[in-house]
Amino acid sequence: MIQVNEESRSGWCILAVSGRADAEAAEDLENRLRGAVERHSQVAADFTALDYISSAGLRAVLQAARAAEQRGVRFAVCSPNAGVRRVFDISGLGQVLTIQGELPC
Amino acid sequence: LADRGHIGLKACLAVWHNQAFLGAAEFRFNGEKSELQRLAASVERFCREQPLGEGAEFDLNLVLEELFVNAVEHGGCKGMDDAVRIRMETAAGGVRVTFEDRGAAFDPAGAPAPDLRAPLEERQPGGLGLHLVRTLARDLQYERAGEWNRVTLVLR
Repeated sequence: MIQVNEESRSGWCILAVSGRADAEAAEDLENRLRGAVERHSQVAADFTALDYISSAGLRAVLQAARAAEQRGVRFAVCSPNAGVRRVFDISGLGQVLTIQGELPC
Repeated sequence: LADRGHIGLKACLAVWHNQAFLGAAEFRFNGEKSELQRLAASVERFCREQPLGEGAEFDLNLVLEELFVNAVEHGGCKGMDDAVRIRMETAAGGVRVTFEDRGAAFDPAGAPAPDLRAPLEERQPGGLGLHLVRTLARDLQYERAGEWNRVTLVLR
């Protein structure tokens, strides 16, 4: 289960994602991230309160990042906890996505 | 001599004490993705009882979810009752996991590795889950036992 709260700040759409990005929640996560990418020019996924991610959650983020790239939208993954960050790194996505310790604004 | 005997007894007691608290837990799951919630709750309880830290719980969850989802979505376990059996036990320096499923014969240790250096637009969605399993697990072994796939591994 995940929860997503969306807000706009200084030209960025910020999606605060909390809970568990597992195979059950992945579709929901992808839809929320892609929805934001379709409506905004700068999107930040705030993972501060994301407890867990699996490969299904990673794929959701990857698909959203691809959609952003195709549309010329800036897309950033922000402040994942150590466990989530490690999953990004092991998968190699840490190198192809913009992952930053802090929110852009 | 008496002193050495005393140390020996203490060592024995320590071993006995540890074994008494070495824990194991077994769970069965149907071949439905909605079982992931119960899987996560089972892992959480096991880790609390041992006790094991947050890092160990994260890795256990991750490895078990990847194996489970793979069996359900690609192994033909979808819709099957009692499709998966999972055993977790604390072992020296980690957790020993036995994951069994009644899906088609499949060796996760032999699955092809994804191209981790591919640029974003060339990324293939498959293969990541098993890559995570192979990276985190030590001593990953597979055997086919009757109608069951049996994967054993150790997490540290």
